[in-house]
Amino acid sequence: MKILVPIKQVVTLDEDFEFTPDNRDVDHDFHIYDLNEWDDYSLEEALLIKESNDSPIEIIVCTVGNEYADESLRKCLAKGADRAIRVWSNELKNTDSIGIARIIAHIARREEPQLILTGVQSSDFAHSTTGVATAGILGWPYAAVVNRFEPDHDFTKASILRELEGGLEEAMNIDLPAVITIQVGINKPRYASLRGIKQAQSIPIEEATPDSLGMIDSEIGESGSASIIKKMFIPEKLSTAIIIEGTPAQQASKLAKIINDFKGV
Amino acid sequence: MALDPKYAPLFEPIKIGPKILRNRFYQVPHCIGAGSDRPGFQAAHRSLKAEGGWAGINTEYCSIHPESDDTHRLSARLWDDGDVHNLRAMTDHIHKYGSLAGVEMWYGSSHAPNMESRCTPRGPSQYNSEFENLTYCKEMDLDDITHVQQYYVEAALRARDAGFDIVYVYGAHSYLPLQFLSPYYNKRKDKYGGSLENRARFWIETLEKVGKAVGNDCAIATRFAIDTLYGPSSIEIEEDGLHFIELADPLVDLWDVNIGDIAEWGEDAGPSRFYRQGHQLPWTIHVKRIAKKPVLGVGRFTDPEKMMEIVRSGAADIIGAARPSIADPFLPNKILEGRVDDIRVCIGCNVCISRWEIGGPPMICTQNATAGEEYRRGWHPERFPKKTSDDSILIVGAGPSGSECARVLMERGYTVHLYDTSEKIGGHLNDIITLPGLGEWGYHRDYRESQLAKLIKKNKHSQLSLGQNPMTVENVLKYGADKIVIATGSSWNTDGNNGLTHDSIPGIDASNNWTLTPEQVFSGKKKIGKRVVILNADTYFMSPSIAEQLAKNGHEVTIVSGVHLANYMHFTLEYSNMRRRLHELHVQELNDVFASRAEEGHLEIFDTYGDGSTRIYAGPGKLPRRENDTHRSIEFDSLIVVTGRHSNDSLYRELKTQQGDWSANGIKGVYIIGDAEAPRLIADATFTGHRLAREIEETNPQFPLPYKREVAIYGAQRMQNFNPLIEYKF
Repeated sequence: MKILVPIKQVVTLDEDFEFTPDNRDVDHDFHIYDLNEWDDYSLEEALLIKESNDSPIEIIVCTVGNEYADESLRKCLAKGADRAIRVWSNELKNTDSIGIARIIAHIARREEPQLILTGVQSSDFAHSTTGVATAGILGWPYAAVVNRFEPDHDFTKASILRELEGGLEEAMNIDLPAVITIQVGINKPRYASLRGIKQAQSIPIEEATPDSLGMIDSEIGESGSASIIKKMFIPEKLSTAIIIEGTPAQQASKLAKIINDFKGV
Repeated sequence: MALDPKYAPLFEPIKIGPKILRNRFYQVPHCIGAGSDRPGFQAAHRSLKAEGGWAGINTEYCSIHPESDDTHRLSARLWDDGDVHNLRAMTDHIHKYGSLAGVEMWYGSSHAPNMESRCTPRGPSQYNSEFENLTYCKEMDLDDITHVQQYYVEAALRARDAGFDIVYVYGAHSYLPLQFLSPYYNKRKDKYGGSLENRARFWIETLEKVGKAVGNDCAIATRFAIDTLYGPSSIEIEEDGLHFIELADPLVDLWDVNIGDIAEWGEDAGPSRFYRQGHQLPWTIHVKRIAKKPVLGVGRFTDPEKMMEIVRSGAADIIGAARPSIADPFLPNKILEGRVDDIRVCIGCNVCISRWEIGGPPMICTQNATAGEEYRRGWHPERFPKKTSDDSILIVGAGPSGSECARVLMERGYTVHLYDTSEKIGGHLNDIITLPGLGEWGYHRDYRESQLAKLIKKNKHSQLSLGQNPMTVENVLKYGADKIVIATGSSWNTDGNNGLTHDSIPGIDASNNWTLTPEQVFSGKKKIGKRVVILNADTYFMSPSIAEQLAKNGHEVTIVSGVHLANYMHFTLEYSNMRRRLHELHVQELNDVFASRAEEGHLEIFDTYGDGSTRIYAGPGKLPRRENDTHRSIEFDSLIVVTGRHSNDSLYRELKTQQGDWSANGIKGVYIIGDAEAPRLIADATFTGHRLAREIEETNPQFPLPYKREVAIYGAQRMQNFNPLIEYKF
C-alpha cells in the first residue's frame, strides 16, 4: 500500500528583498527555501500510520519544482519517506495551485496510493487549494483541516476530526482512497537523525516531467492554471501609531480608554 | 546591511584636546588581569576592540609609582622603562585601527595595600581604608604633596613615550585626588583642606602639572566620581560635584564621570540584579550643564536607542562602556553594519569584575567566552577557523555549554544537531532568569538562540531538535553522528550532600513532600509552606535569590548556612544590596550553622565550630577534638536544600562503557562539557563548550591544548641597566 505526500518547498523572506523586473515575483536571489511547515505534519502523519501498521506501507513524497526543491525532498527522505519524485520542466513556471493539483493527480493515477496527505496550506501563498483540487480532479473524497486521522483496519475507511472556526470540531467518517489536508498540531513532527540525513543523500530522486507523466499541453503550466499573478507589491502602510504621552498613570488611563473603546465597552 | 541613519550621530568624530576620537564609542578603563606584565594579553584584548570599532580604548587603572601597589589585585603599572616597553604593544596595536589609546594614571593611597612594594601610601590625612582595613596612609606634608604630584608628571611622560594618546588623572572610586576633594577623607587645616577650593587644590595642581608636561601631545582626561552617594558628608553632584567640574574644566580635555566609591563600587559597575541600563543618568545628566569639554559616562549601555537618547538629549557626548565592550568587542561595528541583532548583550552578571576582586586572575565573561583568550589561545570573537573535516556532531543538551558549542561548531561550518528535552535552549538558565533581578541573564540564551537560527539557515543539515524524549545510549549510538558531545548539565542534590561533609544528611530526601531542591521550587509542583528553611552550602546566588523570591511572596524564610552566604557576590559587587534586600524582607540567617538530620517539620542544626578548640590524638576511632554539643532543632513547613550540585553524566558514563560499539556505529569520539563534566559558573560552562568546538579535531579534544603563557624568564633583561641575575648587596 502507498501513501502519497505532496510537499512544497516554500519561500521565506528576510526584511530586505527586491521584485523581479516584471513585478510578478520576488527576485529569486532573495528566496530562502524551507519545507512548508504544514507538510512536516502531513509527512509525520504518514510516518505514524506506517509505523503503526503491520502490513508494509510505502511513503512517496513528491513536489513540483527545480533542483533546489531536492533539499526539501531529502529532508523528508531523512525522516523516513521511502521514495521521492520531483516534477519539473521550464513550462511549469507560473503554474498556480490548480495546475500543481493536476500534476499531483497524474502522479496519483500512476502510483495508485490509498491515501494522499497534504498540508492544509503553504506558508508562502496560503491558497489552501492544492489538496482539495487534487481530490476534485481525481474524483476522490476529501477532508480539509484535519487534526485527527484514524484509518480502520483494512484501510477502506477512516474516522477524522476537522478543526472548525470558534474552537469547534467536526467528527466524520470518510471512504478511502481520499485526500486529507492536515492541520498543524495533529502530531509532533520528528527530527531527522544524522544517520537519516546521511542515508537520504544516497537515495535517488525520480525526476519526472509533465511529458513523462503523460500530461497534455492544456494541463501544463499557465494553460492548466486557473489564475495568473499580475503583480506583486508591498501595500502602502497607513500609519495608525499613536504616541501615548503623560505620566505613567496618565498613560495607563489613556491606554485603558483606547482598549475599552476598541472593545466597545 | 548598513548603518541605520538614526544612529549616524554615534559615528561622528569628536575632538578631545589635541586628539580626535573617530566615533562616540569609548572603552573606559577596566581591569582584565593583564596589567603591564602580560603585554600580549593587554595588547590583544584592547586592540581587538579597536578592530571592533571602539574609538578610544584604555588600560585598566595604571599605577604611577610603587607607592601605589594594589597587590593582591592586578593593576597596570608605569613604573619604569620595562613597563613602557610592554604597554607600547597595546598602543601600537590600537593605533593600527585608527583608535586612541588611553592610560588611567592611578595613585590609591590607603586603598592600595602595597603588599609587593612595601612602600607607605600617602594621603591627605591619616586614615585606614574602608576597603583595605589594615592599610593606613601617612598624612602628606607640603613636600609630600609636591613629591607625589611629581610621580604623576613622570608617569605621564612615560605614558607619552609608551604611545598613549589620552592620559588620565584618576579620581573616581575614591582614589587619591578624590580623597583630597572629599571631606570624608580630607581633614586638613592648611591650603589643601577646608573649603572646596582648598580640597580641590591637589587635583587642580596635578592636572596643571600633567597638562604642562604632556598636554600638547596627549588629551588630558580625568575620571571623577561626581557623587559618592554618602550624602552631605562627601561629594554630592549639585554641591562639590558640579563646583569641581567648573574649577577643573579649563584643565581637562575629557570628562569621564561616574558615581560611587571603592568599597561599594557596584553602585558604579551596577549588576543587572539591581540596576538597569543608564542607572547613573540621574546624577551624570547634570555634568553637561557646567562642562564645556566633552563628557562621557557609563551605565552598561548596549542598546543603540538608549545611546542615541543620551547623545541627543545632551546627557553626554560619548558613550562610555566597560562591560558591554567585554561582552561584545564588536558592538560599534555591529551597529555600523546594521547588525544590531548580532550584538552579544552584556547580561550584567559582573563575573568579569569578580576576577579582579578575587585578585587578578584573567578576566572571564559569561557571554563572550573569548574574553581573555585573545592572545593566549588566539581566539577572535567574530572569526573562526574553518572546519577541517566533514564530521557531523550530535550535542545532547542545549544549555549554556551545549548551545555555545553548537554555535561555534556551526560557525566553523560543521553539521551539528543540538538536542534537548526542553522546548527552548538555555538549560537551567531558563529557571535562573525567573529569580528576582536576574531576567537580563536571559540575554545569554537569547544571543545563542538568534545566532543558531541564522546558522541553521546556512546549513540545512544542521538541526535544533527541541522538546525531545531523553536520549538513550542506544539512540546516541544509532544517531549517525561522527562525534558526540554530552552537555546534559547538573542538578541540585536531593539528599543534602554537600561540600562540607561530602556526605548526605540523614532524613533529607527531596522525594518527600516537605523537601524541595531549587529545581522543584522552579517547577512549582510542590506546595511550599509558610515557614521555609533554606539549608545552604553554596556560596553564590541560589539561596539568597530563592529567599528573596519566597519572602516577597509572604513566606517566613530562614537561611541556615554552613558556608559564608553568597560570598562570591562580594566579588560580583552584588553583596551589599543583596544584604539590604534580605534585611528589608526580614529574612533570618543562621551563619556558621549546618544541619545533621531532618524529619518532617524539624531540622537538627549545629554550630559548625561547636566542637572543641583543643586538638589531641586520642587513638583510632576517636575524634581529635571534643565532640560538637551544640545540636538543637528548628521548625519549618518546607525545607529547601541548596547544598550542592552533581553532574547529570549517566548518559556519558554509559556511553563510555560501550566504547567497543563506537566505531561500528561510525562514532569517532564522545566528549563531555559544561556542568555535565563538573558543575561550575555559567561563564565557565560556556567556555568549555566554546573550547571544545574550537579544538574538536585535535587528537583528544576533551583536554585543552596548551596556551601561550606570559611569564618572566630568569636571566632575561627587561630594560637597560637591569641585572636579572641573583646579586646580594654586601
